[in-house]
Amino acid sequence: MENDKSPKGYHDVGGDPAGDIPMVDLPWLHWEKQVEAIRGLLGDGTRRIVSLDEVRRGFESFGVEKYNSLSFYRRRLEAMTDILIEKGIVSRAELDEAIEAGTLRWTDVDTPS
Amino acid sequence: MKRFAAGDVVRVLALGKTGHVRIPHYIRNQIGRVTAYCGTYLNPEDLAVGNTAGRAVDLYRVAFAQTQLWPDDMIPHHDTLVIEIYDHWLAPAEETPNAPRP
Repeated sequence: MENDKSPKGYHDVGGDPAGDIPMVDLPWLHWEKQVEAIRGLLGDGTRRIVSLDEVRRGFESFGVEKYNSLSFYRRRLEAMTDILIEKGIVSRAELDEAIEAGTLRWTDVDTPS
Repeated sequence: MKRFAAGDVVRVLALGKTGHVRIPHYIRNQIGRVTAYCGTYLNPEDLAVGNTAGRAVDLYRVAFAQTQLWPDDMIPHHDTLVIEIYDHWLAPAEETPNAPRP
C-alpha cells in the first residue's frame, strides 16, 4: 500500500507482508533489562541525556542491513551508544576500554581457577 | 489552540519529512475521525535530534476503518484502527462514509 511518495524507512513495516507470525514467547534476558534500565535513566525527566526518540532516530539511521541483523534490544543498545558518543558524553575509546575491563572481570568470574 | 474535537473528520497529511517521525506510511492520506484529544507533548521530530526547546504540539487519537486501510473481505466492517497523531500531520476533511462512526 503506497500512500506517500516520500521514501518509506526500512523500519516502517506496518502493512508489509510478514508471513506467519511465530507465536512463541521470547525470554526477556537480563542484559536486555539492563539496556532498558539504562535507557530509562538516560531519558528520564531529571536527566534528559538521551531521549527514546533519539534512540529511534539512531537505529532508523543504521541502514537496512545492520538494522535487520540486530535484535530489538541490540538495536536500542547500539543506537543509545551511538547517541552518547555523538553527544560527547563518552568517547569510543572510553567505551572500548570499559568493555575490555568488564569482559576481563566477567571472564574471571566465569572461569573457575 | 486545539484545532479538532472528538467527532471531527480529518485527513492524515503526507508531509514527506525525513528523519524520525511517528506517522507510519500506511496511515498517510487516510481519512479518519478524532476520538479524543490527548494533550500537548514535545514534538518527537524535535526530540529525535536532541532539541528539547521546541514548542509542545497537540496530540489527537484518531480512528480509521480497518476495511479502508486493508483491502481484505475477512475484516469486519466495524473494526477500527486507533492511532495517535500530532496536530501538524492532520488536516480537516469532509464527512465521508469511510470515516468510522463516532
